[in-house]
Amino acid sequence: MPVVQTEKLSKIYNLDSMPVHALQDVTLSIEKGEFASIVGPSGSGKTTLLNMLGGLDMPSSGSVWVNGRELSGMGDRQRIQFRLWNIGFVFQHYNLIPVFTAWENVSFIMLLQGRDKRAIEHRTNQLLEEVGLGDRKHARPAQLSGGQQQRVAVARALASEPRFILADEPTANLDTKAAMNLLDIMARLNNDKSVTFIFSTHDQRVTQRARRVICMVDGKIVGDERHER
Amino acid sequence: MEGLFFRLAWRNVWRNPRRSIITISAVASSVVFAVFIQSLSRGTRDGMIDNLIRHSTGYMQIQDYRFQENPSMDNVFFYDDRIVDRIRQATPSLDLVLPRIDTFMLAAGEQVSRGAMVSGIDADKEHRFSNIRDYTIKGRFFTPGEAGAVIGRGLAERLGLGLGESLVLIGKGRFGMSASGIFPIVGVVDHPLPKINQQVVYLPLETAQALLSAKGYVSSLQLVPGRKTNTESIAGAIRKELENEDLRVYTWQDFMPEFLNYMKIDMAGAYLMSFILYIVVGFGFFGTVLTMTMNRLKEFAILLSIGMSRSRLAVVVLLETFCISLIGVICGIVAAFGVICYFYRRPLELKGNAAEALIERGWSPELFVSFAPDLFYVQGIIIFFIAMAVFLYPLIKISTLDNLKAAKS
Ligand SMILES: Nc1ncnc2c1ncn2[C@@H]1O[C@H](COP(=O)(O)OP(=O)(O)O)[C@@H](O)[C@H]1O
Ligand SMILES: [Mg+2]
Repeated sequence: MPVVQTEKLSKIYNLDSMPVHALQDVTLSIEKGEFASIVGPSGSGKTTLLNMLGGLDMPSSGSVWVNGRELSGMGDRQRIQFRLWNIGFVFQHYNLIPVFTAWENVSFIMLLQGRDKRAIEHRTNQLLEEVGLGDRKHARPAQLSGGQQQRVAVARALASEPRFILADEPTANLDTKAAMNLLDIMARLNNDKSVTFIFSTHDQRVTQRARRVICMVDGKIVGDERHER
Repeated sequence: MEGLFFRLAWRNVWRNPRRSIITISAVASSVVFAVFIQSLSRGTRDGMIDNLIRHSTGYMQIQDYRFQENPSMDNVFFYDDRIVDRIRQATPSLDLVLPRIDTFMLAAGEQVSRGAMVSGIDADKEHRFSNIRDYTIKGRFFTPGEAGAVIGRGLAERLGLGLGESLVLIGKGRFGMSASGIFPIVGVVDHPLPKINQQVVYLPLETAQALLSAKGYVSSLQLVPGRKTNTESIAGAIRKELENEDLRVYTWQDFMPEFLNYMKIDMAGAYLMSFILYIVVGFGFFGTVLTMTMNRLKEFAILLSIGMSRSRLAVVVLLETFCISLIGVICGIVAAFGVICYFYRRPLELKGNAAEALIERGWSPELFVSFAPDLFYVQGIIIFFIAMAVFLYPLIKISTLDNLKAAKS
C-alpha cells in the first residue's frame, strides 16, 4: 500500500471571482521509502499539493489517502491528531518554537504523543546526533544558523515516527553548503532507515539528489521520472 | 506533559520581557488605583462615622421621644439606678451607660456672647468611651460636682476667654425656670469635631442638673455596646423593654441621616470611578493582547500543523495569561498595601472649598483610607478577571485559526 496517494485532486481558489486552478486532477502515489521531489516554477502548485498531502488544506475535489485513510473525511480535531502521529513537517521558515531549545523542540512532539519520558530523552539525543547537532542541544533557534534550524526541524519531523515527511522548499533560505548538508542528512536517513521524504523545490542542485522527480506546471503533473542515484 | 505546557507558557511570558513588564505594571497599577479609590471612599466614610459616633452621637441613645423635636428641659427624664438595671437586664452586652444633660444656652465672656451647647457629663465614664480628657489642651477636666467648666477651644477663642476666667451661662431650666450661673474655666479642650469645638461647654453632670433645676434628670443616656456589631440587636432588646414609656432608642444612623446620604453619593461616585477604571484597563489590555496575538499567529499555525491540538494550545495561552494576570495582581496588591499604609499614617487633608463644606457640616476635613482586607482581594479579583476576560481573545482566535492563512500572513 502506498503511504500517500491522491486521486484526481483539484484545488480552485476564487480570487476576486476569478477562479485559480492551483491543482488540476493530480493523481499520484508515493510508496514507503521514496525520496521524491516535486519541482516546478513558482506558482505551479507545489505548496498546494504538499498541503493537501499533509491534511493542512482541503481539496475542492478528489481525495487524499494516507496509509489507506481518506483525509477529507476527518474532522478538524481528528485531522490534527492524525498529523501528529502520521506526518512529519519541515517548513521553509518559522519551523521551531522560539522559546524552546533544540532539544526541547525535538522532544516536544513526542511529549504531545504522550510517550514514555525515558524513551523520549534517549530518542531526542539520538536524533540530534544524527542531524549533527549533538553539541547544540541547548541552543535556542535564534542561536542557531538557518541550516542548523532546518536540521532541528528534520529531527523533530522524524521524532514522531511519521509515515512520511513533507518538506516544502526546505533549502530555499539556505546557502549552498548548508543546503547540501541538509540534503545529505535527508538522503542518509532515507537510505539507512527508509524514511520517506516528499519535498518541493525549484532548486536544480536539490533536484539532482532526488530519486524521483515529479514535475509540475500550472497545477498539473507534467513529468514523473525515477532515477537511480 | 503539564510541566511542559507550563514551561512553554512561562517562557513565552518572558519572551519579550519589556512587554510583559509593561503589561504586568499596567495590571498592578490598575489594582493600586482600584484599591485606592475604594479604600479612600470606604475609609473616609468609616473614619467619619467613627469620629461622629465616638465624639458626638455614640452608638445609640435613649431619649424622650419629644426631645429630638424640641430639645428643651421639658423633655428630659428621670435617671437612677432602676432604669440602668432595667436596661442592663434587657441586654447583658452593654459596656457603659453614659448619662448626659444637654441644652442650648447663651455663653458670655466679658465682651462677647455666643450660643453654646452645654453638656452635663460624667467625665470618668465619658473618658472611658471617647478619651475626652486626651483632648485637653489647657488646664484639666473637672471632678464630679465641681463648679467648674471645660470649654471647647473654638468657643473660648470666640468668647475671648482663657483658663481661670469666668464664663457666664444664661438659659432656661426645667418648668421654664430661668437658669444662669458663673463658672470658672478649669480646662480647654480641642475637640476633634469642629462643630462641637466651637460650641461646647462641659459641666459636671450634677452641676449642670442643679443649674437647670433638673436634679436627677438627664436628656439622654448614651449606650456603649460591648461590641460594635450588635448595635441593632441591643437597640431592639431595649426598645422592647421601654415599649410602654415615653423613651425611645435611637441608633447612630438616626442621628446622621444627612451624613449617610452624603456618603451614599460619595460611595456611588467611587463605584463609578472604579467602573470607568475597569473599562479603561480592559481596553488597555485588549490593545496589548491584540498585538501579542497577531504577532504569534504564525507560531500558532505551525503548532497546529505539527499536531498540537487547539485545546492544548489554548491551555498554554491561558497559562500565559494566568501568569501575567496573577503576577500583576499580586504585585498590585503588595503595592496597594504600601500606598494604603502611607496614607493611613498620613491622612490626606482636604483644603479649600471642599474642606470648608465638610467643616460647615461639622465633619473633619480629613480623608481616611480603609485597610479592610476585602478591598484588596475584591479589587484584585475584579482586575484579575478583567485581564483574564480580555485574554479570551487569543483563545477564540486559536479555536478559529485557519493554519494556512495564518502561516501565509
Ligand atoms: N490561499 C490562496 N488563495 C488564492 N490563491 C492561492 C492561494 N494559495 C495559492 N494560490 C495560488 O495557487 C497557485 C499555486 O500556488 P502554490 O501552491 O503556492 O505554488 P508554489 O508553491 O509552486 O509556488 C498560485 O497561482 C497561487 O497564486
Ligand atoms: Mg510554494
